Amino acid sequence: MKRRHLSLLVALALTALATSCQQKTIAAKPDPLSRAYDVESDWNDPQKQIPLNYQQAQGKRVFYTYCVWCHADSSPAGPSNRSNLTPTPPLANDGATFNPLSDEFVRNTITLGGSAMGKSAMMPPWGRTLKPDEVQAVIVFMRAIAQPSYQPPARPGPQYSVK
Amino acid sequence: MGKIPKRLRRAFAISSVLFLGVLAVSPVKDLLQEWKQSRRDYVRFAETRPDTKQLLADFHPGIDQIWIPEMNVTDRCTTCHQGIHQASLLDVSVPQPFRAHTPMPHQVEKWGCVVCHRGQGLATEVREAHETTLAWEQPLLPVRYIQASCGVCHRGTLPETPQLDVGRELLVKLNCAGCHRLEGITRPAMLGPDLTSVGSKASRAWFYKWLKEPRTITDSNGNTTVDGVENEEEPRMPQFRLNEKELRALSAYLSSLRTGPAETAKLDPRVVAALERKPDTVDQGEVRFRQMFCTTCHSVAVTRAGETKLIGGEIGPELTKVGSKVNPDWLLAWLRNPQASMPHSQMPRYGWSDEDLYKVTRYILSKLTDPDLMSDVPRLEGPAQEEIQLGQRLFLEKGCASCHFVKGVSPQADFGPNLSNLGSKTLSQLEFSKAKIPRTLIAYIQAKITDPVSVNPAARMPQYQLAPRHLEALTTALLSMTGGPSSSGLAKLVVPAPKPGFHPAGAFGEVYERYKCYVCHRFNGYGGTLAPDLSYEGSRAQRSWLVAFLKNPQTLRPTLTLRMPQFNMTDAEAATLADYLAMVTQSPAVNLGSVTSKDLTPEAARLGKQLYEVKYQCRSCHTIGSSGGYVGPNLTNVGNWMNAAWIEEWLRDPQGLVPGTIEPRRTLPEQEVTALAAYLMTLRQGGAAKPAAPGAGSAR
Repeated sequence: MKRRHLSLLVALALTALATSCQQKTIAAKPDPLSRAYDVESDWNDPQKQIPLNYQQAQGKRVFYTYCVWCHADSSPAGPSNRSNLTPTPPLANDGATFNPLSDEFVRNTITLGGSAMGKSAMMPPWGRTLKPDEVQAVIVFMRAIAQPSYQPPARPGPQYSVK
Repeated sequence: MGKIPKRLRRAFAISSVLFLGVLAVSPVKDLLQEWKQSRRDYVRFAETRPDTKQLLADFHPGIDQIWIPEMNVTDRCTTCHQGIHQASLLDVSVPQPFRAHTPMPHQVEKWGCVVCHRGQGLATEVREAHETTLAWEQPLLPVRYIQASCGVCHRGTLPETPQLDVGRELLVKLNCAGCHRLEGITRPAMLGPDLTSVGSKASRAWFYKWLKEPRTITDSNGNTTVDGVENEEEPRMPQFRLNEKELRALSAYLSSLRTGPAETAKLDPRVVAALERKPDTVDQGEVRFRQMFCTTCHSVAVTRAGETKLIGGEIGPELTKVGSKVNPDWLLAWLRNPQASMPHSQMPRYGWSDEDLYKVTRYILSKLTDPDLMSDVPRLEGPAQEEIQLGQRLFLEKGCASCHFVKGVSPQADFGPNLSNLGSKTLSQLEFSKAKIPRTLIAYIQAKITDPVSVNPAARMPQYQLAPRHLEALTTALLSMTGGPSSSGLAKLVVPAPKPGFHPAGAFGEVYERYKCYVCHRFNGYGGTLAPDLSYEGSRAQRSWLVAFLKNPQTLRPTLTLRMPQFNMTDAEAATLADYLAMVTQSPAVNLGSVTSKDLTPEAARLGKQLYEVKYQCRSCHTIGSSGGYVGPNLTNVGNWMNAAWIEEWLRDPQGLVPGTIEPRRTLPEQEVTALAAYLMTLRQGGAAKPAAPGAGSAR
């Protein structure tokens, strides 16, 4: 009788332990591109897809409406206006040109136009056409497709040491 | 109390220890909960960041939740996704779940997470929050399809949701509403062509081939091509899985449909006699076909340098092999008056001369052909009565009648299942059969579209071969149909789709309907987007220019391959259109009387030329003469084309006149605005304005 009680108790304890240690099933790893809001194929290598987040995708939209005419090799209407211009505007993915420029400088060039920043007057000011959010989105998009890829400037060091 | 035996004492000791152990399980389990671990990880992570102090100041232990009772939102996602508001954690290098949310129009505090991302807001375990489990059914929506959530409340198009908009357009274009009930998409008057008298249009062999494989016409190398040419567009008619017997029966039935009014379009026999023998009739027909810009709506395969490409628009059907399809009498009658045999057709009723009509039909029937088109069709005898009867039954059973109208045949109502709440279906509501696909709603929808039989062996649904991005767009649009927002608080915020309409009456309405202006042009938000928006055309263009353009349209943007067709309008029709446009389509922002010739002095024009060429470098986008860019319209003849007042207002605020135009808005002083307008008004081709066509009234 007592033995039975004991074994019952042990069995109960074991079950409780077993349930608490139950293994969680591991979910299948999703396709990385399924986590992207949109994708843009690499301009130099169309096979490669660059995932874009929401803000970058908005930049892509603005870029393909306003900027693509002069800052890409082909436009929605077919040929690019780029070859028509002197000096030739840089391609939007031209990392060698844009990576050294700060966000601030690129933002000012877009909003105030080329002539305000000592660049070609052929670059018109977009500050009254595009919203600040849209300008920022375009910059983020350009950074995302840059070749060589863009590294954000190092963050300022910690003001207070942790210890 | 008697003496307790040693054995019992030991048993008691063991059981007490065990009991304590069991009691300890619960607190340990609590301590090891996923969300608590995640929060400890966050603290550890925050300590590695340069802005630790800020990050830890915003941190507090315990469950975080966003609670918005009126929207029925209780989202505990921020318990693990701690860094969601921290701008310094936006970078991709920050590991999830701590990364900040990218800037977006809806703030997390005001909307919560589940409204857009779906999943379970209340859950405190990773798996329960993100996936379908026994008790928590709604899984997270992959970000690839997240625009579906925008569509739950935003019923119209949004610039931010291109994928959703493409998907909704595809639902319309692929005629899904023919069989399914869809949220926000109403069944149009015409889906497929009216087949009442189709037997007089094409042969039984052609029907057989088309029904067997509407999308592919296989070439001699065995390459499968879509609609005549390799192309990722899906044809409007989907592929039904029909067997030999069904193909024979349906083709027999269709070829027997000659009940419609017998259309006749007789050509003047003298014209036919004169042109019949001429060797260059067909070539002249081709020239006419090109001059009239039929290719703005219809595409034709063109082989250049060994590469075959479809050239032309998508509004009408592709025509590469149409000469082998249609009956010559039918073609003649159709070109004369398309609406007579198909009342809802979008094709304009051109003003044909007998010569042109004869030449163009000869060109279509002799050049746009393929002698091998029916080579793989078996010999089909004249249709037997029982074949016709079987075909008529199949026509209803296969759902043909859901898209195609045949006089006297009433379609089954709601032929396919109602899809207006497909997006909110849970896994337990779906039938996967034995399909080897992941058990998710998205995989189900995509399998159903691309291979319906795989999930339902008895499916009547046709099979679609869509490009991956189209399939994704279509899936997004279907996922957005959840039967409305999940709470009444949200339902109040639904942004309905605008329902514009522009149905002018009178003489203008008649011409507008005859030439189907709205298929390409937009008026007050209604109409196509292929061609310029004409809502304010009367403010923009001079009347004399409008008349000349309507009579003989020339392109203003040389890079465009699609141009306005030549309708062969009469002078009276052109005058009616120009009068109406000049009178009615005026922008309140433009006062045509505000600029007079007194303001446009030669000195101002000189200054304007300098501004145009040097200061603002307008030539980077606009062409004058032979130099300049081609982003904007060619301005060589702008002095004869536009009104000065429009140019001035355009220079002040282009987006105010044409929302979304890409002309950058600048801050120009008033003097420069006048100077530029004065300069542009001097740009006239051939000197003064062209005299208006006779009978078109006097120019203003």
